[in-house]
Amino acid sequence: MDTEFVRVAYMIVVLSMYVNIGVSLYAALAKPNLVKKIIALTILGDSVNTFIILVGYRFWRPGVFLQPPVLTNLRPTSEVIRQFLEKAVDPIPQALVLTAIVINLAVTVFLATVALHMYRHFGTVNMDVVGRLKRYEVRKEMA
Amino acid sequence: MLRDVAFAVTLVVFIVLLAVATGLGGLGPLPPPRLRPLAVNVLNTTYNPYYAARNFTADAPEAVTAVVWDYRGLDTVFETAVFYGAIIGALALYREVSKRVEESRPRGLSTIVKVSTAVMVVAIAAVGVSTAMHGQLTPGGGFQAGSIIAVAPVVLLVVFSKSFLEKAGVRYAKMVALRSAALVGIGLAALAVAIAAGAMGCWGYVLQNQPKPDAPLGYPPRALDVPSGGSLMVFNVLEMLAVAAGFTVVFLVLSTSEKLAKEEVVGEEHGY
Repeated sequence: MDTEFVRVAYMIVVLSMYVNIGVSLYAALAKPNLVKKIIALTILGDSVNTFIILVGYRFWRPGVFLQPPVLTNLRPTSEVIRQFLEKAVDPIPQALVLTAIVINLAVTVFLATVALHMYRHFGTVNMDVVGRLKRYEVRKEMA
Repeated sequence: MLRDVAFAVTLVVFIVLLAVATGLGGLGPLPPPRLRPLAVNVLNTTYNPYYAARNFTADAPEAVTAVVWDYRGLDTVFETAVFYGAIIGALALYREVSKRVEESRPRGLSTIVKVSTAVMVVAIAAVGVSTAMHGQLTPGGGFQAGSIIAVAPVVLLVVFSKSFLEKAGVRYAKMVALRSAALVGIGLAALAVAIAAGAMGCWGYVLQNQPKPDAPLGYPPRALDVPSGGSLMVFNVLEMLAVAAGFTVVFLVLSTSEKLAKEEVVGEEHGY
């Protein structure tokens, strides 16, 4: 497998991330349904997280053995540590994404609670209908 | 209709612009080569008995957990605070009914499902706890463990009922107290070395894990002859409690019966 092919494949992955981000932004902005908005936001978060993970990516070539950033030898010699430095992928993007996923989950839970509350309040999760209801109510009070 | 077309055109333009910019080399060489020295620095110090006389090691073979709770510990403490705030926001919406105990007594699913769920819940809890306790050795840690454990109450809520969980002691007040206690514990564990150093009259840092050249105190690097990562294990267990209790309390509130939850919006029919 030559390096040029890996570069092109990497670029295709990056472009597919752009498409993912664009489509989820579109859904979050344009779809009137609150549940669909929340689903789009989770897709957006996961796309961005995958993007961050890509930064820690390393080119694979025949003869190169890569490993996760975990040292499996508990009594390492300096030779083991030197090999670990060469083989392991970048741990920092993974650490950033790790917390981001849980925060994303907590925010999703909060948004789901808000959507449920709105459903009990308005009887619908369609933001167009909710907006119409509110306009109607405001006009009635102004009259 | 016009709005949909406008959005679709904007979307296509957005993607094409980004793609053209990236194709022309807008992001520079990918993956960015300048980030590698940073990774090598972290990987070299995460578990190294030789490096600079052990002065800057986290003593955890798992570099990701070491980054989360040692190298970028303050960052993670504040992310825990964000998590705490999001849960607080969800609870605040149901403040009227969240403390009320359910009156209805649903029977739940069939006996077969109940028995197999009871077995599975023990397994889920065991996997979660081991994920937290092994966070410094294998991929895992407090966030993942808490999320795993939070699956158990969700399954119980569906298979049994909310009133079953409340009778078993998983109540709103208890979960909120557990979550707050875990957060306070994280704060105290972060300050522990600095406070101890202040009492003994030497230097110490907030969120310090292992001894540094100018700060001689630190957490013990081993527990039962296994690398414990010093403070990493403490943080992981506390974070597991905080995340598990936080998700549990939100799921409890979300599964409030419709009859009770409607009381929350009483009087809001007018005025929106």
